[in-house]
Amino acid sequence: MSRSFPKSFSSRPRLPLSLWADRGAGTLFLISTLVLVALIFSLIGFLAWRGAGAFIALPGNTDRVLSLREVFLGLDWSPTQDRFGVLPFIFGSFTVVGLSIALAGPLGVLTAVFVTQIAPRWMRAVMRQAMDLLVGIPSVVYGIFGLATLLPFLGDRWLDGQPSAGFLASALILTVMIVPTIVSLSMDAFEALPRSLDEGARALGSTTWQSIASVLIPAAWPRLVTAVVLGMGRAIGEAMAIQMVIGNNPQWISLMRDLTDRTPLLRFLFTPASTLTTELVQELPNTAAHSAWNNVLFALGLLLYLLTMGSILLTRRLSRRRA
Amino acid sequence: MKKLDLRPRLSARIMDGAMKVALWAVALGFIAALLVVMGAILKQGWPVLNWGFLSKMPETLDAGGGVRPQLFNSIYLVALSLAGSLPIGIGAGIYMAEYAKEGRLTGFFRLCVETLSATPSIVLALFGLMVFVQALDWSFSIRSGACALAMLNIPILTRVTELSLRGVPQEMKEASYGLGATKLQTILRVLLPAAAPGLLTGTVLAAGRAFGESAVLVFTAGTNTSMTYPDFSLKAPGETLAVHLWYVVSDGTLPDAREIAAGTAAVMVLVLLVMNIVVRLLDRRLKRHAR
Amino acid sequence: MPDSILIEPVMEAPLHPTDRARLRAENLRVAYGPKEVLKGVSLDIPANQVTAIIGPSGCGKSTFLKCFNRIHELSGPAKVTGRIELDGRDLMAMREVELRRRVGMVFQKPNPFPKSIYDNVAFGPRLFGVRGRSDLDGAVEDGLRKAALWDEVKDRLADSAQGLSGGQQQRLCIARALAVQPEVLLMDEPCSALDPIATARIEELLFDLKRELTIVIVTHNMQQAARASDRTAFLWLGELVEEGPTETIFTNPGKPMTEDYITGRFG
Ligand SMILES: Nc1ncnc2c1ncn2[C@@H]1O[C@H](COP(=O)(O)OP(=O)(O)OP(=O)(O)O)[C@@H](O)[C@H]1O
Ligand SMILES: [Mg+2]
Repeated sequence: MSRSFPKSFSSRPRLPLSLWADRGAGTLFLISTLVLVALIFSLIGFLAWRGAGAFIALPGNTDRVLSLREVFLGLDWSPTQDRFGVLPFIFGSFTVVGLSIALAGPLGVLTAVFVTQIAPRWMRAVMRQAMDLLVGIPSVVYGIFGLATLLPFLGDRWLDGQPSAGFLASALILTVMIVPTIVSLSMDAFEALPRSLDEGARALGSTTWQSIASVLIPAAWPRLVTAVVLGMGRAIGEAMAIQMVIGNNPQWISLMRDLTDRTPLLRFLFTPASTLTTELVQELPNTAAHSAWNNVLFALGLLLYLLTMGSILLTRRLSRRRA
Repeated sequence: MKKLDLRPRLSARIMDGAMKVALWAVALGFIAALLVVMGAILKQGWPVLNWGFLSKMPETLDAGGGVRPQLFNSIYLVALSLAGSLPIGIGAGIYMAEYAKEGRLTGFFRLCVETLSATPSIVLALFGLMVFVQALDWSFSIRSGACALAMLNIPILTRVTELSLRGVPQEMKEASYGLGATKLQTILRVLLPAAAPGLLTGTVLAAGRAFGESAVLVFTAGTNTSMTYPDFSLKAPGETLAVHLWYVVSDGTLPDAREIAAGTAAVMVLVLLVMNIVVRLLDRRLKRHAR
Repeated sequence: MPDSILIEPVMEAPLHPTDRARLRAENLRVAYGPKEVLKGVSLDIPANQVTAIIGPSGCGKSTFLKCFNRIHELSGPAKVTGRIELDGRDLMAMREVELRRRVGMVFQKPNPFPKSIYDNVAFGPRLFGVRGRSDLDGAVEDGLRKAALWDEVKDRLADSAQGLSGGQQQRLCIARALAVQPEVLLMDEPCSALDPIATARIEELLFDLKRELTIVIVTHNMQQAARASDRTAFLWLGELVEEGPTETIFTNPGKPMTEDYITGRFG
């Protein structure tokens, strides 16, 4: 039977060669992917190892082993006096992120509603490009804006010129930083809705707002929540900009108690404070590797990492429910 | 059938009008706020911005320093990190778009990409400090910074590559296979050129993000610059513009720290603006070309 | 009754004998930008009958239909001249919310809201301030019964509307439109996404519904037009070629072009 094969079939040397190249390339692409996977695992591994060093006696440790309780339930952060309570930073992070989401979530979603449903059509493209540009502005730029413009403004407005670093300034800066992300993703959410939904609602006699409030927003809801959660993820991890405007005071809880000449609201908004991220920026360079102080900072890094992982898993869940 | 009273409600009309006004107000206020922020940043930096600022060496104690080495380091680091991350990012993107079969494993790879791209930069900074600076003993140097930055870029590039490859029309792929091309030939000759606009945008996006990154670099490339200029040594300390901005205000020894920071901020915003415009023009051109 | 302050004063429509035209278009022209889609169409649509509109793709059937509840205004600015009337009143001068309540519409693709079956049908009454549980329940049951869907869904009103089949979804959309007690129902190819059985059910519905409503239906299906309609209008390139009782149009059309189209010898 071999005679019946066309002669050229067996004498084409290029075919096997390109097949080999094909296979080799596939392997290379796979290796790239595996490098990526290895990176993420070494990241988790190293963080876990160094973070665990705070609580478990590991070779190389130079200090005593801490208990989970004294670290994660402790309110006093005085590393030089062997006190390592990180609760103030956790509170700080949650406060700043909570405030900024409370501002940026509604602002971003409503702006997207406006741009996609009410504004003249040309505004969509303009808005999208503006948001793209803003997402790319570096955090230190927002930081210097906060330091040079926002803090003096807030101080003059509410504190008779006293320093105004604290939660409010941080939350405002964070809001400016994450709103573009939320606007852009929310616009996607509304544009992904079929036109027939709005038409259906309007054909029954809905006003524009009735259609938006009772059909479009509910239909886009899972994606809107995803947009806000992604913004939140960004807010949790932000370090430099906040570090420049929050005042960096690990003892903020007791200071807030002491500032009795202010109203409670002003105390809350304008006491110099700290968060998980700002503490890392602030103290990491000052610590010796493998000291308890250093290890606790790595544990904070691990905690941050877990928080962002949590927000990712949350968005995945939401998008699965959507599908 | 019960006849219902179904006449238009005045309340609905009032609500509609009020919400439209409110939405206009929110959006215009938002746009105004953004303009104020951008305006303030540029206005503060404007007086400092001149050729001398860009071309002078920085001062350590006196006023009037420039940012020449920082500008160099920023560009050098971005280039090095891209050189390291482009092959891995694009390779992984190609694998996920064209090779991986839809399933558990791909889902896992995608989760890894997502996780890495959402990792806070301060966490990457911790990692870079621990691994590149301390464990490998590279100290605060260009090479530590470039490796850490590459980790930041890889997931962005991977995702962009995967998305742009998936965006290529299926018919183009089938036509190529129909002509007897192998998978590699199809990828190189058909898919990548067709996905080029997306890849380019993604690369510029990654470059822009690396250019503005500060947290990672403070702890890997360091807050000093080399004594010589230009210093291409990978072992030299590599303070960038973004790090410089942050460092001068937190350190506070320079009498004109605020001015220098404001000037640096304006430089960075202008660079990013130009990058944005260039990529938009290129994108339009490539797309026209493809048609 | 304090709620009455919240109700806008509306001029009551004049009473009318049923044989008078419910809807009327007079020299209706519609242009999207430079493109004129309807070029002076005049048509009377009588009450309590089913009027079918037929014609080749792109001839302006949907545009014509949409003018009667002004839903075309949603998809960008269109220039409309001529006169359109509902019960003798100029439709362009009416408030659109009121107009759309009275002139309902069913679309080509079923478009239930991503809500429960109940909430879909109750959506319309709620818009107009109906809040009472029994009123809403009544409206929902009434709408679903008229759309011949009640028996199939009465035990799962709280389920998502998206779990229904295509034919059920389309009947749900009809129920949703009926729940605001409209006087006219506009249907734009309501069966084009449905199988023959679902189509037959909707055609049966038309017979029942026209006792209370005026129906205008756009269709590409000649048999459907012949079976289900009382009058037929044939549009071609934005112009009305011929219109009359369905029987006449189908058995003895006045123009050769109509005959060619109906018999499929067109083009
Ligand atoms: N919003 C719009 N903007 C611009 N042109 C439009 C718009 N809507 C419709 N047209 C144009 O008007 C013409 C008539 O459209 P229409 O939808 O009324 O046709 P049709 O008879 O319903 O066709 P089909 O049978 O395919 O549904 C088409 O050429 C269409 O391109
Ligand atoms: Mg149509």
